[in-house]
Amino acid sequence: MLRAGSRTGDVAAVPGGSAERYPGTMAAIVDERLAQTFVELADTLVGGFDLMEFLHMLTERCVELLEVDAAGLLLADARGTLQLVAASTEQARVVELFQIQNDEGPCLDSYRTGQPVIVPDIADGQATARWPKFAPAAHEMGFAAVHAIPMRLRDQVIGTLNLFGSAPDGLDPAVARAARALVDIATIGILQERASREQGIVAGQLQVALNSRVIIEQAKGILAERLHVTPDHAFLILRDYSRNNNRPLTQLAGDVIAGTSGIIPARQASPRPPGDHPARR
Amino acid sequence: MVSDRAVKVWRWIAAAHEGDGPVSVAAVCNAAALRLGVDGASVTAMSGMHAGEPLFASDELSALLEELQFTTGEGPGADEFTLGSPVLIPDLESAAARWPGFVPEAVAAGAQAMFALPLQAGAIRVGVLSLYRALPGPLSAGELADVLVFADIALQLLLDASAGISGSPGYRPLSGLSDRRAVVYQATGMISVQLGVSLGEALARLRAHAFAGSAALGDVAGDVVDRRLRFDPAADADA
Repeated sequence: MLRAGSRTGDVAAVPGGSAERYPGTMAAIVDERLAQTFVELADTLVGGFDLMEFLHMLTERCVELLEVDAAGLLLADARGTLQLVAASTEQARVVELFQIQNDEGPCLDSYRTGQPVIVPDIADGQATARWPKFAPAAHEMGFAAVHAIPMRLRDQVIGTLNLFGSAPDGLDPAVARAARALVDIATIGILQERASREQGIVAGQLQVALNSRVIIEQAKGILAERLHVTPDHAFLILRDYSRNNNRPLTQLAGDVIAGTSGIIPARQASPRPPGDHPARR
Repeated sequence: MVSDRAVKVWRWIAAAHEGDGPVSVAAVCNAAALRLGVDGASVTAMSGMHAGEPLFASDELSALLEELQFTTGEGPGADEFTLGSPVLIPDLESAAARWPGFVPEAVAAGAQAMFALPLQAGAIRVGVLSLYRALPGPLSAGELADVLVFADIALQLLLDASAGISGSPGYRPLSGLSDRRAVVYQATGMISVQLGVSLGEALARLRAHAFAGSAALGDVAGDVVDRRLRFDPAADADA
């Protein structure tokens, strides 16, 4: 099922592939990038843990590190129904929504069984027989391979991370291990967050999933204008406040938009008359 | 930046536009009903936290479904869309337990499948696009991809109608106005403070400014973020 070798060959230890020709170098580069990602992900786990930011970052890093063309992430809500939380491309978004709509597809199977579902060629007879709706839909959206990895800790499955390729391909063992590791850290992060809130918080955790990035940008703009700083600087203020006050970034951004964040001193919280502004460009 | 699919959907909407007035959500609904294999489409605007104000329905059943959702507070279009994802119900009867007040009446009236898409960008939420089918059946992948574009264009049309530019000669929501980069949303936040208005109104003003100057939305947004351009409530004519 698992075929050694990836399209560009710089991850796998493929006989005759580039990884074998330059084994030490490539492995070191991949390890280095993976290690950086772990540090980055771990960094988001401290203080105001923000699930949305964490999952968006995870999805993006999977595409960069695991040599796939797109990634999507489904998480179960309070009713046990999978919901789309992040998708790296519009095509991945469509395919994920399509599976949820039809209640059929490898990502749902992976969630239900708690096992990885590796589909090196969506067009082969076995895949089309197993998922008669999903297979043609994935093909129509430009995908030829899909790998669904369950987000699982022991017997608890909370979602799946799904990797899409535009050419038929298996999941290289080295890539599979890296994907597993990324998914495991995400799963532990989510479950730890849930435990710390002492209740089934899934619904609350999932708030504004697909909008969180835009909400954060809008809040950055509001803070930038109110505090007379750049949006980049506004983000640092937002993040520091989030950590120091143990409030999730997305939630805090929503509070900034609603005018209830507490970041801005009260005297600045209302728009000042135009004449009150110091001279600016 | 504009996908082939977006160009195709805009052509459909432009072709469905009737009369001399601005292209509106009426054209969106009629085009959706014609092209997506559905039997009707409707758009409601937000009133408070829920979609309630009907703007257009392509047929009588669509209008009835909106009314039913409003009165029962249930149904795909009455969802709070907290996740930002569409609610896709290919077999309405299977959702009877979820919406016990709405589903029996909707099915009795002749709807067997419903699809609802929030019209939103971050904290900006202007309404909901709803579609129904008289027979059960899922949207195909292509229809699903198309309907996401329909929703995106409906959002832009509603913003631009509020700013009064959608009736202007040469108006196209896709040409220069469909930028989705972070800088557009940052500028939206900044303008909302400069003018003391909602994010939705701020984005509408930003789009109107870009349209009036034949500039790309992202370029104007960049000027706002770099503080080369400021929206001044005193000089209200500026947008």
